[in-house]
Amino acid sequence: MKLFLSQALTIAAKDLRAEWRTKEALNASIAFSLVILILFSFAIDPESMPEFAGGLLWLVFSFAGALVLNRSFARETQNDCLDALVASPVPSAALFLGKTAANFSMLLAVESVCLPAFGFLFNISWWTYFWSMVAVVLLGTWGLTVVGTMFSALTVNLRLRELMLPTLVYPVMIPALMAAMELTHDLLNGQPLAGDNLIWLRLLIGFDIIFTALSVTLVDTVLVG
Amino acid sequence: MDNRNFTFMFYGFFAGWAIIGFYVVLLGLRERRLRKELDRVRQMVAPQK
Amino acid sequence: MRSKILIGLVTVAVALLGWNLYNIFMVVPDEANQGAIFRIIYIHLPTIFTGFLGFMVALVSSILYLTKGDMKYDALAAGVTEVSLVFAAIVLVTGSIWARIIWGVWWAWEPRLTSMLICWLTYAGYLMLRRAIDEPAQRARLSAVVSIFGFVEVIIVYKAIDWFRTLHPQPVLSVRGGGGMAKGMEGPIYWNLLAFVCLATAMVMIRMKQDETSREIDSLRREAHQY
Repeated sequence: MKLFLSQALTIAAKDLRAEWRTKEALNASIAFSLVILILFSFAIDPESMPEFAGGLLWLVFSFAGALVLNRSFARETQNDCLDALVASPVPSAALFLGKTAANFSMLLAVESVCLPAFGFLFNISWWTYFWSMVAVVLLGTWGLTVVGTMFSALTVNLRLRELMLPTLVYPVMIPALMAAMELTHDLLNGQPLAGDNLIWLRLLIGFDIIFTALSVTLVDTVLVG
Repeated sequence: MDNRNFTFMFYGFFAGWAIIGFYVVLLGLRERRLRKELDRVRQMVAPQK
Repeated sequence: MRSKILIGLVTVAVALLGWNLYNIFMVVPDEANQGAIFRIIYIHLPTIFTGFLGFMVALVSSILYLTKGDMKYDALAAGVTEVSLVFAAIVLVTGSIWARIIWGVWWAWEPRLTSMLICWLTYAGYLMLRRAIDEPAQRARLSAVVSIFGFVEVIIVYKAIDWFRTLHPQPVLSVRGGGGMAKGMEGPIYWNLLAFVCLATAMVMIRMKQDETSREIDSLRREAHQY
């Protein structure tokens, strides 16, 4: 168990270190999210923004996430790195969890820039229920990341990778996205997580647990065969 | 039979059968294409044997 | 033998559907509020059960492929998913037509409809994925994984009615614990279900035969190009 965790952490550290040196994906994601936020300000009347805030925020996160997730396994295809990783003593599950953790951190970094920018640009106070907001962001981001990384692994060897990844991943992500959007919408509009909301929280937690378990089980089949 | 909303009920049944019919036609077209291809490939192999 | 089974299935299906059509329009009593549009349930419910049954068969077949490695299971999974996708499309369309009358809108973004739409999109993605991969073993392996993920969606659709407050009507069948149907209304649903299952089985058999033919073509083509 300890070995497994340390292997996953090593992979995560490798990915994060590689990303930190170039900051390509991070910069691209942050820039892209800010551009989308600005575009939204033209598309939607700022007066009615609180109505749409929850949904828009998670749309921005998922689009930014797509940039990060696509590169996740794709960058390993150069120089046979993926073959080396798969052939190494690191079990596929540890490889997968390591990459998911790295993507999770990167996406969180992007979101931690986006969320304050969003509050600033559209005059929305997102810190009213700060810890609930943090919880929703963490759970939602994990859901997106775990499914995204799994399908990134699945599509890595396809010639139509850039097309197949979004086509496959967005429908599967939608339950988590929907739950996160509903919860964020309520939190941004001054309702705490209680009563009716809890079903969405339960859906989000259930989604995270089930898809993490499924992905960890199936990633070996996908990568190795 | 209560005839309120009869038109839309008819559309509903029609849509259901149309989709099945569309798929059956698709299957038939695929069958024809495959059969033609099979004959062509069989001919390609036959003279060489 | 196989074509006899096929013809038998189709005959049974057509006969049942014809007889049931008479039942649906002449025998079943009227529903209090909805008028004639209520009878769409006799297509809507049987097709969704057929579709879900199909997705379940695809799941089992995919898991069997992953554990046993026999390509037969992959062919079955692909065929069944394609046919079930057709039935799922019928559900969405008939439901939408019903909704136009009863709710006044063609579509509503509520949990059951949304999750059914994504279920359909996920399995459509499954078929797209299969077309994008040429190598048979890789195709079988990857699409089996997608099939398993897709089935989680099916479960969400099924349970959405219990978990969320939905606009979609609550279950009315006596087997699901609903109590909404008068005597004589429920029977035709099950007869139609049997008919659709027969029809779906026939279509899957045809589809699998076509798969076999296509594989024969591939191997013959390889043989032809050897020389």
